[in-house]
Amino acid sequence: MRISERKECIAMLLAGGRGSRLKSLTEQVAKPAVTFGGKYRIIDFPLTNCVRSGIDTVGIMTQYQPLLLHEYIGKGQHWDLDLLHGGVSILPPHSKPGSTAWYSGTANAVFQNQNFIESFAPEYVLILAADHVYKMNYRTMLDYHKSVNADCTIAVIEVPLKDANRFGILNTASDDSVIEFEEKPDKPKNNLASMGIYIFNWRTLREYLNNDEIDTDSSHDFGGDVLPAMLRDGLRLFAYRFDGYWKDVGTEESLWQANMDLLDDLHLGFEDWHILSRSEGRPPHFISPTGSIKNTLITEGCEIYGSVENSILSVGVVVEEGAVVKDSVIMENARICKNATVNYSILDEETVVSEDTIAGESREIGGKLNVYSRGTVFKKKVTERRRKK
Amino acid sequence: MIGLCLSDPHPDRAGDGCPVRTLSAARYAGRYRLVDFMLSNMVNSKIYSIGMILNSHYQSLIGHIGMGKDWDLARKSGGVMFFPPYYADDRRSVNNELDGPLQRAAEHLAEQKTEFLVLADSSIVYNMDYRKAFEAHKKSGADITAVYTKKKITPGERENTVSFDLTENGRVSGVGLAPPNAGTINVSLGAYIMHKRHFIQLTAGEKNCGMLRFSRVLLANALDRLDVNSYEFKGYSAHICSVETFFHYNLDIMDVDNRNALFDFEGRQIFTNRRDSLPAKYGKNAEIKNSLVADGCQIDGTVINSTICRNVKIAQGAVIKNCVLQDDTVVEKNATLDCIITDNSVLISENRSMMGYRTYPVYIERGRVI
Repeated sequence: MRISERKECIAMLLAGGRGSRLKSLTEQVAKPAVTFGGKYRIIDFPLTNCVRSGIDTVGIMTQYQPLLLHEYIGKGQHWDLDLLHGGVSILPPHSKPGSTAWYSGTANAVFQNQNFIESFAPEYVLILAADHVYKMNYRTMLDYHKSVNADCTIAVIEVPLKDANRFGILNTASDDSVIEFEEKPDKPKNNLASMGIYIFNWRTLREYLNNDEIDTDSSHDFGGDVLPAMLRDGLRLFAYRFDGYWKDVGTEESLWQANMDLLDDLHLGFEDWHILSRSEGRPPHFISPTGSIKNTLITEGCEIYGSVENSILSVGVVVEEGAVVKDSVIMENARICKNATVNYSILDEETVVSEDTIAGESREIGGKLNVYSRGTVFKKKVTERRRKK
Repeated sequence: MIGLCLSDPHPDRAGDGCPVRTLSAARYAGRYRLVDFMLSNMVNSKIYSIGMILNSHYQSLIGHIGMGKDWDLARKSGGVMFFPPYYADDRRSVNNELDGPLQRAAEHLAEQKTEFLVLADSSIVYNMDYRKAFEAHKKSGADITAVYTKKKITPGERENTVSFDLTENGRVSGVGLAPPNAGTINVSLGAYIMHKRHFIQLTAGEKNCGMLRFSRVLLANALDRLDVNSYEFKGYSAHICSVETFFHYNLDIMDVDNRNALFDFEGRQIFTNRRDSLPAKYGKNAEIKNSLVADGCQIDGTVINSTICRNVKIAQGAVIKNCVLQDDTVVEKNATLDCIITDNSVLISENRSMMGYRTYPVYIERGRVI
C-alpha cells in the first residue's frame, strides 16, 4: 500500500452503531448524527477534539442508517478536515475478493480497515466512539501513553461507586496500570469507568486484531475481547484519568439531561474549546412582541411568538403565538402551533404540534420524559403519550 | 453571465466617526454583511464568476469573503476575483497615483468567453434571480437593462439614491437624483445587465468608479447613444448608505414580511460566512421583545426592538431599546441604551446611560469603552 503521508497518530471513529437505547430518535439516523445542544450533532464532539488535538486524519466507520451522517460529514470541511493528506475518510463496510461482511463488532470494523490505517503508517491509533459529549485533548493522552511506555492506554473517568455497575470498570495498580477489566460488574471494586477512548501502538493492535479475527469464540469487541486478551498476555495497559465534563448520551434521559447541562455551563467546562459544526446559515432568530424567553438556548432560524422556558431550541424551530414550551429539547424545524403546549419532551426534527394540543407531561408534577419521533404530526386534542415502538 | 461588483466608498457624517470599512462590509440583520446579498443573488442566479472592484478600507470585506467557500464560490474555474487598487510599477512613491482597478477588471472581462455581464452594487440588499432580468434583456433587444424598484425612499437615502425617468415603453430616458419629498419613484437597485463590450466602452478612461458615478455620469451621458431598458423588481429592498439608513433598515427587518421577502423569497437563501458560534443563551432574567438576535449572544437583561449581532453580552438589569449592537459588544449591569449603534467590541460599563434619537442614532466606534 502506498503511504500517502506518514502520520504519527490517526483516529478511527466508530460511527456505525444504532444507539438502540435512543429508540425512535435513531430510527432514521445513526446515533452520531443525532442533534445536540441546538446546533450540533454528536459527532461534532469527537471530530472537534481531534482537530483541536492536532490529529488531522480520521477514519469514520459507518454502517447503520448512514445517509444523513455521510451528508453531514461531507468532505470534512466543517471541521477543517478537508486536507490534501489525511482529513476525514468515510469507511463503510465493503465487499472484497472472497468475502462480503458487515462490521460484526468494534474490533472487526477496525480490522476490516487495516489497509486504510497502513496507508498512513502510523505509530499510534486512537480509537473513538461517537456517543459522548465531552471536550478532551487527545494529544495530552498520547503524551501520557508515550511517557508510560504503554501498549494500550484507556481513558477513564471517576464515577460514583454506586453507578459503577453501569460502566466498564478498570481495576488499577497504584501506578494506574490496569490489572483487571470488568464489564458492568455487580460488585464494583473501583470507580474508574472506561470512556471508550483507546490509544494503541498500531503494530501491537494489528497483531491482536488478526488473532481476534480467527478466534471463533470472539465477539470482535474492543472492551470484551481485545483488551482482555492483551491483559492476559501481560501487555502494558494503562488508565489515563480525565476529570472534565463527559456525558454519555446513549439514552433518552441522558440526552435530555446533557442538553440541559448546557444551560448551566455553555462551555462544558472548557471555554477555549470551540466546537466546530456545520452551521446552517439561516437568519438570526427573532423574538416577536408577543414572545417571551427565559433560561433557554436558541439558535439561527428560530421564530418565537409564544413563550419558551428552560429549553433547548435547534435551528428553524417556530413557536407560534400563545404556545408554551417548557423543559424541552426541540430539534430542527419543529413547529409548535398556536396555543399548543410542550412539556418535558424531546421533539425530534420536523415534528409539528398542532393548535391547542398538549405534548408531554409537566415535570413539576412528576411527569415522565416524552419523546416524539421525527415528523410526528399532532392532530387536534391528542393528549396521550405518543411513542412509536 | 459573469458578475461584477462596484461599491461606493463609505459615507461620512461629520463628528460621528463612521465605520472604517467599505460599505459592502457593513453589518446587516445580525449576522450578515451587505455584500452577502449581492453574492447570494449572483450564486442563486448561477453566476459563479464574480469580480469585485475594491476602493478603500477593504480589509474586512476580503476577510469576510475569503475564498468564497460559504457562497460555493471556491471553485476551480470562476469564483471571486478581487481587483484592488495598487501602485503602478514605475511609481512606487506613496504620493503617486494609484493604478485603477477598473481597467484591469475590463481586461479580465475581455478575456472571458462569457459575453454578458451583471453589474451590481453591493450596498443595496434584495433577493433576486438575475436570470429573469436577463431573459427580459435579451427579449427587449436593448443595450443595457437597468433594474429598479418602485418605492418611497427615506430622507437619509436621498443623496445616494439614483432614480430613473422612464418612457411609456419602459426605456430609461433620464438618470438623476431623487427629488425632495417625492412620493413613489423609480429607484435604481444598482444592477445592470449588458454585453460586456458596453461596460468596457462606458468605463474606458476611468481609473476607478463607484456605482453612483457609473449611474449618474457614465450611464447618464450615454443615454442618447445607448438603448437602456428597465426591469422592475417587486420584492423588498434596502439601500444602506448612511448611519441613518443603516439604523433604519436594521430595525425595518423586525417586520416579518420584510424578513421573509429578503431571506426566503421564492425559496432563495442568503448565504454568509459561518463561524459556528454557540447558540444564543437567555438567562432567567431575560426580557426580550421584537428583536433579532444572532448566535453566540448571552442575554440576561431587557432587549426591545433591537438587532443584536454575534457574541454580544447583555447583563442583568441592562435595558436596550431601538439599538443595533454589533459583534462582541458587552453591556454591563444596569446600563441603558436607546437609539444607539455600537461597532464591534464596544464595552458599555455598569450603570451608563446613553440615548440617541430615531432620526439621529448615536454611533459608537469600534473598541470604545464607555
